[in-house]
Amino acid sequence: MDRILLRFSEENVEEPITSKVILELGIPMRIVTATINSQGGDILVEVPRIHVNKVVEAFRKKGVVVTFPKLIEVDNDKCFDCGGCFALCPVDAIKYDKDYSIVFDEKTCIGSPCGLCVDACPARAITLVEQQRNNQK
Amino acid sequence: MATSKKSNGRSIPEINQKIKSGDVQVLTAEEMKKLVENSGIEVAYKEVDVVTTGTFGAMCSSGAIINIGHSDPPIKIQRAWINDVEVSHPGAAVDLYIGATQMSETQPFEYGGGHLIEDLIAGKEVEVRATSYGTDCYPRTKLDTVVSKDNLNQFYLLNFRNCYQRYVCATNSRDDIIYTYMGKLLPKFRNATYSGAGSLNPLMNDPDYETIGIGTRIFLGGGQGYVIGEGTQHDPTNRFGTLMVRGDCKQMNPEFIRGGAFTKYGTTLYVGMGIPIPILNEGLAKKTSIRDEEIITEIVDYGVPRRGRPKLGKISYDILKSGTVTINDRTVKVSSLSSLKKAKKIASTLKSWIENGEFYLSAPAETLPIDSVCNVMRQRDDVTFVSSVIHKAVTCGVDEDIKEVAKRIISESINHVVVTDSTGQIKGIVTSWDLTRAVSEGKTKLTDIITKKVFTTKPEETLEAASRKMAAHHISALPVIDREKKVVGLITSEDIAKLRGR
Repeated sequence: MDRILLRFSEENVEEPITSKVILELGIPMRIVTATINSQGGDILVEVPRIHVNKVVEAFRKKGVVVTFPKLIEVDNDKCFDCGGCFALCPVDAIKYDKDYSIVFDEKTCIGSPCGLCVDACPARAITLVEQQRNNQK
Repeated sequence: MATSKKSNGRSIPEINQKIKSGDVQVLTAEEMKKLVENSGIEVAYKEVDVVTTGTFGAMCSSGAIINIGHSDPPIKIQRAWINDVEVSHPGAAVDLYIGATQMSETQPFEYGGGHLIEDLIAGKEVEVRATSYGTDCYPRTKLDTVVSKDNLNQFYLLNFRNCYQRYVCATNSRDDIIYTYMGKLLPKFRNATYSGAGSLNPLMNDPDYETIGIGTRIFLGGGQGYVIGEGTQHDPTNRFGTLMVRGDCKQMNPEFIRGGAFTKYGTTLYVGMGIPIPILNEGLAKKTSIRDEEIITEIVDYGVPRRGRPKLGKISYDILKSGTVTINDRTVKVSSLSSLKKAKKIASTLKSWIENGEFYLSAPAETLPIDSVCNVMRQRDDVTFVSSVIHKAVTCGVDEDIKEVAKRIISESINHVVVTDSTGQIKGIVTSWDLTRAVSEGKTKLTDIITKKVFTTKPEETLEAASRKMAAHHISALPVIDREKKVVGLITSEDIAKLRGR
């Protein structure tokens, strides 16, 4: 599964674009997180890898900005592999390697709606990547 | 003859001779366990001269003594700050002690003494500010300069409690996240944390302090340091031994010494330490083969902010290192707060130093106490707990008639009725004020006026904390509940006022 971030604007947020794409393509998608209101917002979806290109194209045609998001940034120079973050991750995106290195699976991490690990890091090595929103405030 | 000597024991001078000639046999504590498992203690004793250990964890009772040299005109520092971290001035004119947990005045909880020590070791320049009252011999009253480690006459780590033999496993019974020195603990036992390297820990490999004593040369922060005594709260009787250590920071490497920040708790220093254990006799060969499953610690509820925190069970380090533990029949993830990766790296680095003739063992000048315990504080003040003012709560069910509840308030002459279910668990609270409002708004159902999100207290909470809670939320009473959320009583601001007026 691949993750793509759909960004809706105030102009197109009222339209049922996601449903339309699913119906047109017949491809199942899993909504991971959604931060959205009448002024627009983001939906993070998981799509089967083989269909990603088709899905991205379909959304872009309908005026949705599609990106492959980086949700979390780990500074490996700062991290000293204590593992303080490990037990806080609700989606098991943080694992110990064989040599007890801490490994972040960026594909599994759900990013800013969670962020439980960020303030638990004594090395302050983890930052959430703020997804660029529409400029309106 | 060398072979007969071996069976009678090995000495440190003999080992050092072997280091010099390049014949020394060194294993890390991990490798030693495997050798003993495969070949037995006798073979391991015959073949191995030294076992190296390692640990890398948050060690708050750490700090560095520095001498910054004299200015002209000179100053007898009274108060000083480096990178906005107040440093203490316990001695003569320009000797300063950087405490690891002292926090920056401009970035508290994010930057502190530990980070400052790391920055200095990394070669960074730091800003020194100082004030004084001025004397005839030290006229200067203000100082503002920039220094790096090259400008310091002495820069020594002087840690008064390091290297805990083992530590507890922490979890949290409360309904909210708590931030502790054991890290971030999720509500209702949803995670756990632990610290320590288990079978790699130096003191676990020499639990009777046969070889670790005053003057033992060690790996400290990437350089060579020394044990200078037992640490504060040294409690070998209960397998909570600690060490006091010293090391030259100018030799150290930030890879093995790091500042750390614990959210809402404070700053600290992560210290990397490794101790070589000379295998002087067969007993030490056996002791250094200790395995994680033999090291047991306790699961402790940090949700109860008391000295005697409730113990929820025992657990071994092999289970802790597996990443999951069972608490109250539920499996939850457990985080290490100290780095096992670095602990292993320290043990293997120390091994290569010895093999390459860069590190020689030293015999202790004096042994450490092996029978001391850590006592509690002698207190003069009388701390009062909720349990001492608690009284019986008047309760009602969710479905009761609003008039019945009103009658009860009058007959019992009280202001608060606690709403419970059939098992006695708390469901809400109703006050005389709620009833008055119900009348004025024409409400007739109890469920419409119950406050469902209730602030509560526990019998073991201090009265001070309970009154702070009442003041913060502008409320006049707190139901007292037990761990199953069953109502065991009530305390009111009146009770507290009465106690104060006593």
